[in-house]
Amino acid sequence: MIDVSGLVKIFLEGGREIRPLDGIDFTCERGEFILIVGRSGSGKTTFLNILGGLTQPSSGRVKIDGNEIGKLSDAECSALRFRTIGFVFQFPGLLAPLTALENVTLSSSITGVTPEDPAYARTLLERVGLPGKADTLPAHLSGGELKRVAIARALVNRPSLILADEPTADLDIETEREVMALFREINRSGTTIVMVTHNTELAPFASRVMKMENGNLTEYER
Amino acid sequence: MIRLITKSIVHRPVRNGALIISFAFIAASLFSGHFLVAGATDSVRQELSRLGADIIVVPAQYHAEGEAVLLRGEPSSFFFDSAIVGQVENVSGVAQAAPQIYIATMPADCCSALVQLIAIDPSRDFTIGPWLAQHREMPLGKDEIILGSQLVGDIGSTQYYYGHPFRVAGKLEPTGTGVDVSVFLRAEDARVMAAESVAMAYEPIEIPEGKISVVLIKVKNPAESTQVASRITDHVEGVRVITPQYLISTVATQLDATIRILDLAALVATLVSLPLIALISVMAANERMREIGMLRALGATQARIFYLISGEFVIIALAGGILGIAVSTVLLLSFQSYISVTVGVPLTVPAAGSFIVSALAAVLLTTGIGGVAAFFTAVRAARTEPYRAIRSGEL
Ligand SMILES: Nc1ncnc2c1ncn2[C@@H]1O[C@H](COP(=O)(O)OP(=O)(O)OP(=O)(O)O)[C@@H](O)[C@H]1O
Ligand SMILES: [Mg+2]
Repeated sequence: MIDVSGLVKIFLEGGREIRPLDGIDFTCERGEFILIVGRSGSGKTTFLNILGGLTQPSSGRVKIDGNEIGKLSDAECSALRFRTIGFVFQFPGLLAPLTALENVTLSSSITGVTPEDPAYARTLLERVGLPGKADTLPAHLSGGELKRVAIARALVNRPSLILADEPTADLDIETEREVMALFREINRSGTTIVMVTHNTELAPFASRVMKMENGNLTEYER
Repeated sequence: MIRLITKSIVHRPVRNGALIISFAFIAASLFSGHFLVAGATDSVRQELSRLGADIIVVPAQYHAEGEAVLLRGEPSSFFFDSAIVGQVENVSGVAQAAPQIYIATMPADCCSALVQLIAIDPSRDFTIGPWLAQHREMPLGKDEIILGSQLVGDIGSTQYYYGHPFRVAGKLEPTGTGVDVSVFLRAEDARVMAAESVAMAYEPIEIPEGKISVVLIKVKNPAESTQVASRITDHVEGVRVITPQYLISTVATQLDATIRILDLAALVATLVSLPLIALISVMAANERMREIGMLRALGATQARIFYLISGEFVIIALAGGILGIAVSTVLLLSFQSYISVTVGVPLTVPAAGSFIVSALAAVLLTTGIGGVAAFFTAVRAARTEPYRAIRSGEL
């Protein structure tokens, strides 16, 4: 599913070089549930964004489903994101003018590739524990509720890969468990998940836990 | 996509409302000039076609007055010898010649209003005849008058001019021209009125014996009216001819200054607001950078982002354009006669065709300005790397 080799990312910050990712080799089979832990600033978000083709690596190669991301055109890469990948960001990233339901179907309305499926979006909102909030605007939702809408949005195209950046950071323990159970269920139905978290207690949900440290991704010993 | 755009427009009512209003100004100033030209030329055409005249012959020295009467309904009196009618009739290509006598009423006279009296010969006249025919009424009888649309008076009522009683026999449709403030009467009655006025009126009038003011001419072949007009100037002494083309170009010349001012206003409005609108579009896109990055992550291509950002401004400009046209149309229509007086040209509602063309042109131009203002912002937003776009929101 994912094949990364020799991945380096260099940022230039005021003439100074920052190398959050320094030669990462990483593979992930279809159906895995991978948890990436690591200290703040270790490069987890950067790594996830490279996997999703949202930024290009400074060197190295990233393959998703056999497609080398660096070699795809904008249209191809966008199509890959739309069909194959579901993103959950560190921030909820909902559009303020749209209701929760409209935010969930947003990828269809913005790309125009497939018609919106409000019925399925409604089911997803129920599954993330937000029945009855479909027509609510983001301004009237709590932080945790926003995050759950964002999760529903990531699931709406039935992606084969979910890239989630601290999806449970704003949630209380109980909701966190529920959301993680949801991710586990999605994973069991065949979706590959790569999730970044600070919370090592979530390790039992995952099939593999990796640690981002000094620009490298290593197996995390539990 | 469109729904997404309209929702985000509605989401920021103040900023986008202000933008819509500035686009409305641009559209209104672009549109008004064309509305005036079209309205004025249509009005002249209409009047001429109502008069049924292909050519109008006026005394050479009273050229300006002839235009004033025809274009603005400014009352005036001027005369030349009625022998002219016969001479004009003999010019080849002339089908019909109808003399008219113009008598301006003076403010301090008999009559309450300042109007133009136009004395006609019902047996020859082809201008009032068709109107009356349309109104199923008999040819103008003795001591009967027909009023222009703006004049007060019920059909059947009696009105006094220079102390002479007249019966109102009919009323004309509005034309937006001098005809609207004119009173039509028979030449014989006018002469009787003039003779009586010495005794009856505070200030008598004189209609010189054997004199007329203008001759309206119908040509045999309308395509040849220019040639016939030049033949008349060649063969008949002391006359000037006014053709529809000439009147229309006179109106266009008179409007020239006004249109230049309006075009200048449109240009200034565009030049001043274009950078401002462009700046607002930059700010709006910056505000939405994270949203843009997020939409890319959801699968939006660069092209879709371009349409999203530029589409918002195009729709705002379109709304502003339509608003501007609607408001200026309402204003121009409700102040039609005021504008007509200040600018000194006749004005009617332009024909649907030219109205739609200039409205569409103004809306398109305004929308184009919106597109141009947002173009570079939209390109930049589309080209920004998604990850960078997402992070720029975190500043
Ligand atoms: N666009 C960028 N320009 C410059 N530096 C960047 C950029 N993106 C990330 N960095 C730097 O790279 C490092 C890794 O950032 P990243 O966001 O990937 O960390 P993280 O592991 O996700 O941290 P956290 O757990 O706090 O979210 C940080 O030092 C950050 O300052
Ligand atoms: Mg992070």
